[in-house]
Amino acid sequence: MNLSRPDRADRLDRLAAEYALGTMPPRARARMARAARGDPQVAGVVHEWEARLSPLAAALPGIAPPPRVWARLAARLGLDGAGAGAMAGAPAAGWWSRLAFWRALTAAGFAAVLALGIALYAARPVAEPPLFAVLAGADGKPALIASAKRDERFLLVKTVGAPPADPGKALELWMLPQGQPPRSLGVLPAGALVRVPLTAPSGVALAEIPALAVSLEPAGGSPTGQPTGPVLYSGRIERMY
Amino acid sequence: MAAAPPSDRSARIADLLAQVALGDQRAFAELYRLTSSHLYAVAVRIVREGAAAEEILQEAYVSVWHHAGTYVAARSQPLTWLTSIVRNRCLDQLRRREIDTVTMTRDDDDEPAFDLPSDGPTPVELLLRGAEASAVRDCVDGLDAGPRQAIALAFFQGLSHGELAAQMREPLGTVKSWVRRGLERLKRCLDSAGHAR
Repeated sequence: MNLSRPDRADRLDRLAAEYALGTMPPRARARMARAARGDPQVAGVVHEWEARLSPLAAALPGIAPPPRVWARLAARLGLDGAGAGAMAGAPAAGWWSRLAFWRALTAAGFAAVLALGIALYAARPVAEPPLFAVLAGADGKPALIASAKRDERFLLVKTVGAPPADPGKALELWMLPQGQPPRSLGVLPAGALVRVPLTAPSGVALAEIPALAVSLEPAGGSPTGQPTGPVLYSGRIERMY
Repeated sequence: MAAAPPSDRSARIADLLAQVALGDQRAFAELYRLTSSHLYAVAVRIVREGAAAEEILQEAYVSVWHHAGTYVAARSQPLTWLTSIVRNRCLDQLRRREIDTVTMTRDDDDEPAFDLPSDGPTPVELLLRGAEASAVRDCVDGLDAGPRQAIALAFFQGLSHGELAAQMREPLGTVKSWVRRGLERLKRCLDSAGHAR
C-alpha cells in the first residue's frame, strides 16, 4: 500500500485520523504504525491528527500515579541522586491514591451511567420502543435485566445481582412459550453486559413469549435441549408498545 | 503552522524536554512532576486497570528519557506529543488484547461480551469540556449527536469500531460512518478556524 502517492492523499488522511483516534482494527493499526515509521509524509499526517485530537484530553481530571511508578522509573533508568530524589516530597502511596483511582473510575456511579444512557438515547434518531424483562431469583431480588429494541436482533442482558456460574457450569437463557416446552436462547456469555443473538428482530422472535428464564447447566449448555439444572431466575417480558 | 501562542506551562514543558534530551535528570523529574497526573489519567481511562496504566506510564517515560531529542517544538505542542505517546501505547495494548481474543468471534456483527465503561464524567462531557479548554468548542458543537458520542467514546475509552457498535447499540456500518464523518467535519472546522496544525 503506497500511502504517499498524491491520489491517495484523502485515503491517507482518513487512515491517519482513525489511527490517531484509535478505532483502527489491530492489524491495520500495526501497518499504519510501520508506515509512519518508514515514511515522513505518513508520520506528518498522523502528527497533524494527533495535534487536532489531543487537546480534547485537556479536560481530563488528573490522577496522581502512585509514587512507586517514579521509584521504578528512577531505578530502571539508573537515575542517581539528583533525579531519583527529586520526588522525595511526593505524597506516599496509600489508601488515598487508591481512592483517587477508584473515584476516578467509579465515583459518579449511577449519575454517570444515567447521563451516558441519556446521551446514548438522545443519539438515536428514532427510538424503537423496547421490551425488557427483570429476571429474579427465588428471593425476589433482581438478578438479570434483559432488554431489546423491537427492531434489534439481540437481547442485551445486564447482570445486576446474579453471581457468575461456577467453573464447569453455565447459565442458559430460555424463552418460555405459553403451553410449550422452553426454547433455548443459548448460554449467557460471561460479562456484566452481554448480547444474546436472536434469530429475528426481538418484536418478532419474542412476540409469543410471555417470559424468560435462566437455568444452571453444564458448561456449554444443556445437552438435551431442555433445562436439566435448576431454574435460577425468571421474569415476565414487559413490552413498552 | 503554529496555532495559538503556547501557554507558560507548555513552554516550560518544551524547555524541560530540551534539557531531558541532554540527559538532565532534574529536568526529567520536574517533567514527570508536571505531566504524570495528566498522562496517568489518560492511560487509566483507556486501559481501565491501575497496574496496566502504571506499566504504560513507566514505559512512556522511559521512551521520553531516551527520545526527548526527537520532540520537534515546531511540530506539535509538547503535551500533545506526550499524550500521543501514552495513548498510542494504551491503544496498542488494547488492540493486542483484541487480537488475542478475536479468534472467538466470527465477524463484527457477532460481538463478544463486553463490559460497561467505567463511570465518572461521561466521554461526551469530557469532549465538550476539552473543547472549551482548547477553544474548539464550536467545532465539537457542530457535530451531530451520534458522531460526537462515537468520537468521545473512542477517544477517551479507546473503543474500537466493533466495541462502539456494541456499546451504542447501532449497526457497525452506522458507527463507522459516524466516526468518519465526524472526523472529517472536525478537521474542516478546526483547520478553517486555524487551530490544529
